[in-house]
Amino acid sequence: MTDYWLSKFIYDLQKPGAIPEYRADRGKVIARYPQLEPEVVQALLSDDVAFLAPRVNAYLLRYYFGFAGMSDEKFLAALHAMQPGTVSKEEAGETSHG
Amino acid sequence: MAEFVGAFAASHAPLIARDWDKLPAASRDIITADFRELGKRLTAAKPDAMVILSPDHWTNFFLDNLPSVCIGVGDSHDGPPEPFMKDFPRSIAGHAALGRHIAATALNDDFEPSISHRMALDHGFCIPLQKMELARLPRIVPIVVNDLEPPMPSIKRCFAWGKLLAKAIASYPEKLRVAVFATGGLSHSIGEPTMGAIDEAFDRDCIKAFQKGDEGPITALLDARMEAAGNGTHEVRNWVIAHAAAGSRGFDLIDYRNMPEVYVGCGWASWSA
Repeated sequence: MTDYWLSKFIYDLQKPGAIPEYRADRGKVIARYPQLEPEVVQALLSDDVAFLAPRVNAYLLRYYFGFAGMSDEKFLAALHAMQPGTVSKEEAGETSHG
Repeated sequence: MAEFVGAFAASHAPLIARDWDKLPAASRDIITADFRELGKRLTAAKPDAMVILSPDHWTNFFLDNLPSVCIGVGDSHDGPPEPFMKDFPRSIAGHAALGRHIAATALNDDFEPSISHRMALDHGFCIPLQKMELARLPRIVPIVVNDLEPPMPSIKRCFAWGKLLAKAIASYPEKLRVAVFATGGLSHSIGEPTMGAIDEAFDRDCIKAFQKGDEGPITALLDARMEAAGNGTHEVRNWVIAHAAAGSRGFDLIDYRNMPEVYVGCGWASWSA
């Protein structure tokens, strides 16, 4: 389901000067969009690709994580982890067995 | 009367511009050679004006206002806003009269496009224009086709748009040589869980279908498989419009390359007049 305000927030980050400001202080820019749901804000602040992906056009999602400074490699890894049948490290038991 | 002088198509990918210096030398050579060949063919057609079909990558339009088809009817248009396209001209000459004529012809034939008197032409329009290294850019009529956000025009409707373009060019009342240029495709997936996947089998079937030319098999192929080939694959709609504008014949592939380094199954082609 498309989240209009999340989409609008990302779309507006294309404006000149917006990216450096966002990278310097995400909270300050996000605060201008009180319509954003708290869980969406949390996902923005924590770079949660899987949470945001179903809520926004895929091109805007890519733009957002580029604007936020995430590398292509990390973005791709997060996306690929969402594919059906992909097992997370936690599910595979690769953590907390030390 | 105006004359249709050929149709042309090429893929675009932001990494062709943004990461040009980071691409393998062999990839740069292929991309350069194929765009040069396309530019050579376009130059040989001697167009005075060019209708360019591209998606809008959230540059002019947003969810507030998302036309299926928008025709640029201005005397000039803005260059690409993307920082990685900053070397491209900031202003691009439009052919306002031809744009208005296409819009009027469309409305008279029961199509309802939106119009724009000034568009910002993003990398979709401008990467092919830049990489073809044209000595002279014809005045353009940019047409945005919604290939990005559902609902999108059907393939059947894209064929109808291509035929409409051919009719509009043929009925333009002044002597003018007009080319049609499609940008985008072939298969690619952007920002999806499948990002980076290229469906080469689909791309090659698509090319074969354009070579055969018939509308029915192209429509059947795209309706059945385009969605699964990745969200960027929807840009093949622009190739369909160019194909129909050329009378669904004369397709000539310059090259096809599966290029994961730019995330796109890249194609370059032309249609004879």
